[in-house]
Amino acid sequence: MMDQPVLALCVAASEALSPTLRRLTLVAADGGRLPPAAAGAHVTLTLSVAGHARPLKNSYTLVSADPERGYTLIVRRTNPSRGGSQHIHEALTVGDGLEASVPHNLFALHSQAKKVLLIGGGIGITPLLAFVAALRARGGRFELHQICSAEEQDTFAALIGAQPGETVHLHAGRASFDAAAVLGAQPLGTHVYSCGPAALMDAIERQAAALGWPASHVHREDFGAAGGEPFTLTIGSSGARIAVAADQTMLEALEAAGIDAGSLCRGGACGVCAVPVRAGELEHRDHYLSAQERQSGGLVMPCVSRARGDSLVLDI
Amino acid sequence: MSGQDIKSRPIYTPLARDPAGRAHLLISDGAAPSPEAFAPGTSAADFAEIWNVMGHSQALPAPLAGSGAQAFRSASHLLDMLRHRLARETMGLRLYAVGAEHFCWDVAGCASAAGMGREEFFLFATGKPSRRVVCVHCRTLNAHVRTNLITCAGCHAQLFVRDHFSRRGNAFMGVQLDAEAPGETIDLEELTS
Repeated sequence: MMDQPVLALCVAASEALSPTLRRLTLVAADGGRLPPAAAGAHVTLTLSVAGHARPLKNSYTLVSADPERGYTLIVRRTNPSRGGSQHIHEALTVGDGLEASVPHNLFALHSQAKKVLLIGGGIGITPLLAFVAALRARGGRFELHQICSAEEQDTFAALIGAQPGETVHLHAGRASFDAAAVLGAQPLGTHVYSCGPAALMDAIERQAAALGWPASHVHREDFGAAGGEPFTLTIGSSGARIAVAADQTMLEALEAAGIDAGSLCRGGACGVCAVPVRAGELEHRDHYLSAQERQSGGLVMPCVSRARGDSLVLDI
Repeated sequence: MSGQDIKSRPIYTPLARDPAGRAHLLISDGAAPSPEAFAPGTSAADFAEIWNVMGHSQALPAPLAGSGAQAFRSASHLLDMLRHRLARETMGLRLYAVGAEHFCWDVAGCASAAGMGREEFFLFATGKPSRRVVCVHCRTLNAHVRTNLITCAGCHAQLFVRDHFSRRGNAFMGVQLDAEAPGETIDLEELTS
């Protein structure tokens, strides 16, 4: 397992963009320089939330990452919140300190792309905002489609701040976005990046494959496909039993029980949190394990995957 | 110095239509693609669109139709039209090239320049070995090399033709034969691959 250096950060600004969106600016607690990060990177924040015995860990994409001006991220208050987003919206204030992982990037722009097609759903806009800034700086060609509710169109339009000559579309709801038409009209050398609900990204992947896009040109960012039926985890070595609630991930349940599982993206992409399984049927939701590894059932990614059934025995 | 085990030497797999592709363009540097270029069960008839080089000044392509066969007067003529075509293509195209190795990699160069990835084009080199060799000393490109030793057309050095191939530069490496041991010679041989 990689050793994960920790950054000591401090909230420099916190502003409400809408009733459910809040932008945070985080700087180094000691006033020093932060590690730089390319567009598409994320950090994992450690949040000490009232009512939780152990801190919560949530990953957020960096909308911008300037070593001196700090990291900015945009957090959606989820309902029901598992505690993290509510804490950021209601409790965290300017001057508060918090810990974060160093930035990691599992969603980097392809340097050889002739054109970049960006498709966002809801709060999935956050990495796309970082991409747009990077593409503007390098003069890269892009086309952006953002799907959101009608009430949020103005907020998202302001965040994107489309400039003359740019192709930016805001769609009020999935129904007004025609994935087949958009993907079917892209020139050779286009790379598509999607971030949003799994159903949207699955549809884009399917449609791109049906139109002959090679997998290497189709990129997606998954965050927190949490939730499902509750079940019980058994730790093979100690026999300890840990309940995983319906709105909790296996990784969160392990951490709440004091087991340091080690994690990075917390979205099923990086493979750092993979744990061996001794018994139990699995519902794999990650994008890391190969079909063969899933078939053998020997490993599971606790950040997103769950038990299919009411119990699972981990070989740890 | 024969039997060089050099990893950059490309290995070619007989062609079959990639079922994941939306459109398919087969390109050959002859009047018709060589049948040995295809995997069992595949033939030129499986490709909706075929571009051939006639090597004849009377060959005139019809307006680009998107299907059927097209004849070009030379490889240069074909590659020019290919660049033009790729600049206007949409995602989902698969390219297949059959012919002399340097021709296949010229097609690959057009594909890469258009932003196509390695899963979007397929090459099969056929025919008598004929290499494009770059002199590492003066950068001259020597065309149609069929032997393991040549005299560089640029600096007249005696070059040994290595199996070391540059995909980006589309050329094999030619190095002065006695660079390591002055006066060293080897027998002249026909290239076998």
